[in-house]
Amino acid sequence: MRPIIKVESISKRFRIQPREAVSVRYPTLRESLVTSIRSALKHPRGNGGRDDMVWALKDASFDVMPGEVMGIIGPNGAGKSTLLKVLSQIIEPTSGRVELYGRVASLLEVGTGFHPDLSGRENVYLNGAILGMKRREIDAKFDEIVAFAEVERFIDTAVKHYSSGMYLRLAFAVTAHLDPEVLIIDEVLAVGDASFQRKCLAKMDDVTRNGKTVLLVTHSLGLVTQHCQRAILLSGGRIIRSGDANDVVNHYNEISASPQAEPKSASPDTQQSQDPPVDH
Amino acid sequence: MSLFAAKTTDHPASAEQNDDRAPSVMYELPDKPLVTIEVGKAWLPLNLRDLWACRELLYFLMWRDIKVRYKQTLLGAAWAVIQPLTTMIIFTYFFGKLAKVPTEGVPYPIFFYTGLLLWTFFSNGVNSAANSLIGNSNLITKVYFPRLIIPSAAVGAGLLDFAIASVLLIGLLVYYDFPVTVEYLMLLPLVALTTLLALGVGIWFSALNVKYRDVRYALPFLIQIWLFVSPIIYPSSLVPDEWRWIMWLNPVTGIVEAFRASLFGRPFLWPALGYSAVFSLVMLTYASYAFRRMERHFAELI
Repeated sequence: MRPIIKVESISKRFRIQPREAVSVRYPTLRESLVTSIRSALKHPRGNGGRDDMVWALKDASFDVMPGEVMGIIGPNGAGKSTLLKVLSQIIEPTSGRVELYGRVASLLEVGTGFHPDLSGRENVYLNGAILGMKRREIDAKFDEIVAFAEVERFIDTAVKHYSSGMYLRLAFAVTAHLDPEVLIIDEVLAVGDASFQRKCLAKMDDVTRNGKTVLLVTHSLGLVTQHCQRAILLSGGRIIRSGDANDVVNHYNEISASPQAEPKSASPDTQQSQDPPVDH
Repeated sequence: MSLFAAKTTDHPASAEQNDDRAPSVMYELPDKPLVTIEVGKAWLPLNLRDLWACRELLYFLMWRDIKVRYKQTLLGAAWAVIQPLTTMIIFTYFFGKLAKVPTEGVPYPIFFYTGLLLWTFFSNGVNSAANSLIGNSNLITKVYFPRLIIPSAAVGAGLLDFAIASVLLIGLLVYYDFPVTVEYLMLLPLVALTTLLALGVGIWFSALNVKYRDVRYALPFLIQIWLFVSPIIYPSSLVPDEWRWIMWLNPVTGIVEAFRASLFGRPFLWPALGYSAVFSLVMLTYASYAFRRMERHFAELI
């Protein structure tokens, strides 16, 4: 069998802001002009070396087979989010190559593009379109989405008046009704109350049983052992273990138990790691 | 074709297939990857097919911009008329009644309103496109789709305002008794040309704005100057002959003059209009390629 995702030595390098420019978040035109004039005059500022670069991801290679559910685990700043963003075509790798043999939908957060002033109905259509659904597809699934989110009564109310639970349920419901071949999920299951979480997990079981390929980034190791056949463990931008999910989770538990063995994470301040706090 | 691809999405059959708990893989892999991700070359192709595939998203983003703009406003879509109308009244008084700008016999209100109608559409389009990427940073860092859609939707959403404000123009044409002529057929292509020019300029500034926030401060200033060098407040015939060619370098001049010529039954200046058309197309093409080149870093810079 051939893989549906082929990742060949992907690396991603981020530039750290030079110390003197920390207060300036965005490069201004003046700054860029000054820098280019300086380098043209061959007066390097002393921070042009490789010190201000950091590898958020280094030489990551793996294959994902069709129908496989793969977990991606690792400490904060290990490069998990960077990996997902490269696979989702949001950021470009510095080197390496990825081949995708199926349509990919990535859920890096729920409710991307939700607008507070628009009604629930309008947001379902907007969010669906942003996630790549066709209008007819949304029409067909609309009632199912609303029922899943349990917001029938409020569907024509602006979502800014929703409770946060209702908001998250509606947002998740849209994403749960996507129908791609590959699903990339980043921690979105951690929404709503216990009963809604059960519903989400059931939906996910459904998805995987339908032969869908899933990449799941999570801090919840239980989720990985329960749902994934395989897993990869990232640390400091490198894959330090991959294979059977139980085996990888055990290895992760071992290295986190001995603090001195815990590898340094790749500078969390530059990649603005958006991993939510560990959820047990 | 694969079984799975055939059953996707909009077929009602998908519902029953969901119940079919076959653990087997229904999806048959294509021989070539659908998407290859690697380090891009300096100049990337435009990928028009990708853009075409996202036309529904373009529609939804335009629709969102329009909906959101008038939510919780008392006057709603009337704002589309109020802006050019008030400016027209002020211009009529100061530049017309007081300064007595010659308008080649066209009554002041309708002379200024035609210019302002096009100008408001153009300048609002450029301005909202330029700020559109920054305003949608949450989309850029979380989902992939061709980013060109975002500034394009910002310009496109202005077309509705333009249509609403045009109703007043029709009223003015009736009031001042201008005959309907075959030249009116030129109006639609002229609006299309204005849209292309606004897209070209707006797309370019939007990409630049992600990297250099200076754009946000420089652009209102630039637009203001652009208004004064365009024949909105005055006809280009007011400029002395030996300097007129500088006026024509501005692509807006050809469009506005042609717009008035077709409404008021004046002769067209085809070379000027041709220049505007060529300029708009070249600008749009250049801006799109430049946008594609900068696009890959948007998620990191925004």
